[in-house]
Amino acid sequence: MLSEKLRFHPCELPPSLDALRAEVRAFLREETAAYPAVHLSNSWDAYDPEFSAKLGARGWLGMTLPAAYGGHGRSAFERYVVVEECLAAGAPAGFHWIADRQSGPLIVRYGTAAQKHEIIPKITAGRACFCIGMSEPNAGSDLASLRTKAEHTADGWVVNGTKIWTTYAHRADYMIALFRTDSASESRHAGLSQFLIDLRKTEGITPRPIKDLTGRLHFNEVAFENAVLPEDALIGKEGRGWQQVTEELAFERSGPERYLSCFVLLTHLIDVIGEDASPATMARIGSQIAWVATLRNMSLSIAGKLDQGEDPALAASIVKDLGCQFEQGLPGLAQELCELEPTLAGHGVDYQQVLGNLIQLAPSFSLRGGTPEIMRGIIAKGLGVR
Amino acid sequence: MNDMRQILEDSVVRLFSEQVDRDVLTRIEETGWPDDLWSQVDELGICQVLAAEAAGGADGVWADAYPIVRACGHYALPLPVPETITAVWLARQADCMLPAGVPGLIPEVLDAGDVHENSLSLDGVVIPWGRRADYLIGVADINGAAELIVVSAAGASIEQAANLGLDPRDAVSGRSLEIEARYAFDLPADVIHWIGAMLRAAQIAGAGAACLELAVNYAAEREQFGRSLSRFQAIQHYLADLAGTMASVDAIAAAAFEALDRSGISNGQRDARFEIAAAKCRASEAVERLTRLSHQVHGAIGFTYEYGLHFLTRKLWAWRAEFGGAGEWGEYLGTVAFESGGDGIWQTITG
Repeated sequence: MLSEKLRFHPCELPPSLDALRAEVRAFLREETAAYPAVHLSNSWDAYDPEFSAKLGARGWLGMTLPAAYGGHGRSAFERYVVVEECLAAGAPAGFHWIADRQSGPLIVRYGTAAQKHEIIPKITAGRACFCIGMSEPNAGSDLASLRTKAEHTADGWVVNGTKIWTTYAHRADYMIALFRTDSASESRHAGLSQFLIDLRKTEGITPRPIKDLTGRLHFNEVAFENAVLPEDALIGKEGRGWQQVTEELAFERSGPERYLSCFVLLTHLIDVIGEDASPATMARIGSQIAWVATLRNMSLSIAGKLDQGEDPALAASIVKDLGCQFEQGLPGLAQELCELEPTLAGHGVDYQQVLGNLIQLAPSFSLRGGTPEIMRGIIAKGLGVR
Repeated sequence: MNDMRQILEDSVVRLFSEQVDRDVLTRIEETGWPDDLWSQVDELGICQVLAAEAAGGADGVWADAYPIVRACGHYALPLPVPETITAVWLARQADCMLPAGVPGLIPEVLDAGDVHENSLSLDGVVIPWGRRADYLIGVADINGAAELIVVSAAGASIEQAANLGLDPRDAVSGRSLEIEARYAFDLPADVIHWIGAMLRAAQIAGAGAACLELAVNYAAEREQFGRSLSRFQAIQHYLADLAGTMASVDAIAAAAFEALDRSGISNGQRDARFEIAAAKCRASEAVERLTRLSHQVHGAIGFTYEYGLHFLTRKLWAWRAEFGGAGEWGEYLGTVAFESGGDGIWQTITG
C-alpha cells in the first residue's frame, strides 16, 4: 500500500531518559537566566562559544560519537533529548550546531584516524565551530549545478570558485564543502566530492559577511582563490559527494529544529495573553499545541527509523515541510491574538521583542535546509508521481 | 510492530479490500444494515481485540486496535466496529459480561436524572446505529462516581437519522429501558467522549490515506494537455501537501492510542488526554485540506456519486465534528497551555 511509506510509527523515548532531561532542563534554566529574552529567540543561529563550551563540559556534545575518539558513545535518543531541550529553551546553540549535528558524524564515518583524533575531541568539548559550504551564487536549490572546482595536483587539491550563504564562515574553524572534482562526468550528480577544510590553516579562502535583513552578520560569501588543501582533505569517496550529502540531509531535515524555531514566541504569547483568554483564543493556542505534539511525534518517529538504519528521506521531507509551515505561521497568529506591536531589541516587553525578531527571521525558515518547493518535489517522487 | 498486531491488520485489510468496494457501499447506503458483512467482521474477531482471552478476545491493547480502526476509515466501513471495540473495552474495565449482539454506544454522559433503580430514560440521545442496537451501553455520573450502565434496547423508540456520511445516527428515546447491569467504574464519566474522539481521529487518518491513494492513482492515469496530471508540478504539490497532511493525522492518532495504553485517562495527571485532544484537534483541522485537495485533484469526476471518492469525503466531513471538533479540542489544549503557563507548557508536551 502506498501510504505504508508515509506512516510514522510512534517512537516513545524510554523513561530512563527522564533523569537526563531533568538535568539538562535545570542546567539550561540556570544558564539562560542571564540572557535577554530576545537573545533566546535566535536559538541555533546564535553564536556563543562560551555556552557551547559549557554544554561540552557537561558531556552533551558529540554524544553519539565513539568514545575511542573522545565522543561519549551514547544513544541517538539521549542526544535527541539534549537537542530538543536546548531548542525549546532557545539556548544559543549556533557555535556548535553544525559540528554536533552533522560534521562530527561525517568525520567519524569517513575521516582518517588522524582527523578523528584531532577534531572529534574539539567537537565534544564545544570548541570547534563548523560551517557548510554548499550553495553557490549560481547554485541554490539546484545544488547539482555547482561549479566550484577542486583540482587534484601534485601538491594536493587546488580549489577555485565561490560559495555563498555559508553561515559563520567568517568565524568557523572548519568547513565541510562540496566541490566538483570531475567536470567531465555526464550526470550532474556525479563528479562531486566532499572536503574537510581547516580554515585556520588554509590560505586563499576569503569569507565576506553578508548582512541579513535584520542587519546581523552570520552568513557569508566565501571566495576560494587557488586554495591548496592537503591530500587527506577529501572526505569520503571521490565522486560520491552527492550521495554523502543526501545522507546528511535526512538527519538535517527531521530534527526538532524544524518546528521549534518559534517555540519561545508561543511561550511568551501564552504568558502575555494570560488565563483570561477568550474560548476562541484558547482554541487557536490549543491548535498550535496540537501541532507541536504532532510534529514532535513525527520527528521522534524518524529518529527511531534513523536509529534502526532505515532511510527516512521521504518522511524527513514531510517533517521539514510541515514544520516550516507551522513555525512560519506563528508570528502571524500571535499578531492576530495579541494587540501588542512588534518591537526592536531593547524596546517594549519581552514578548514584543521576540515577536519583532522572529517576524524578521521567519522568511529564512523555508529557505535553509531546502525550500518547500524542493521538499514537495521529494515527497511527490516518494509518491511515485515524479 | 508486534506479530499479533501485524496479523490482525493484514486480516482486516484482506477482508475489507475483498468485501468493501464501491458497489457494496452503494448497496448498503440504499438498503441499510448488511447482515452478511457484519457476520464476516464478527467472525474475524476484530471487535474483540481488547477482550480478555478467556472471553474469546485477542487480549490486545489500544495500539493493536489502531490499525483496525484506521482500516475502518480507509474502507469507509459503514459498520459500528470502532464503537463495538469500545463497548468491549468498557465492559472489560468494569469486569462485566456484555449481552450478545450489536451495541449502541451512548456518547453522552448520563446522570442521576436518567438513571433510575432498574431503568434508564433517554430523550432523543443520538446513538450510532441506534436502530440496529441490541443493547445500549453508556457511562453515568452518579453524584461524582462513574458507573457503567448496560440496558436493553427493547422498547426504545427510534427516530432515524444519519450523518453526512449516511451512517445511522439515530435519536433514541425511552421512558424506562430495562437496566441489565450497572457497575462501579474507575474511569471518568466522560470516557466515551474521549475514546470516541480518539477513534474518529484514527478513522480520519485512514480515510485520508485512502483519499491520497485515489488521488495519486487518478493523477497518474488521467491525461490533460497531452500528459498525465501527475506530470504537472502544481498537481505534484497538491499531492505532496495531501500526503503530509494525512501523515500528520496518522502520526498523532497512532501516538494517542499508544499514550492511552501507557498512561490511561484516569489518573488526572499528565495522562493520555493530552495526546487524544491533540489527535482530534489535528485530525478535525486536517479534514479541510484532505477533502479539498483530493477533490481538486479529481476534478468533476470526484464530485459524482458513481466514482466513489465521496464515500470517504462525506464521512470525513461527518467525523470532523463528531465527538468534538477542532474548536472544542483546541480549547481544551489551550486551557492546558494557560494552566501550564509559558514556562511549563514544554514540560506538559514532553510528558
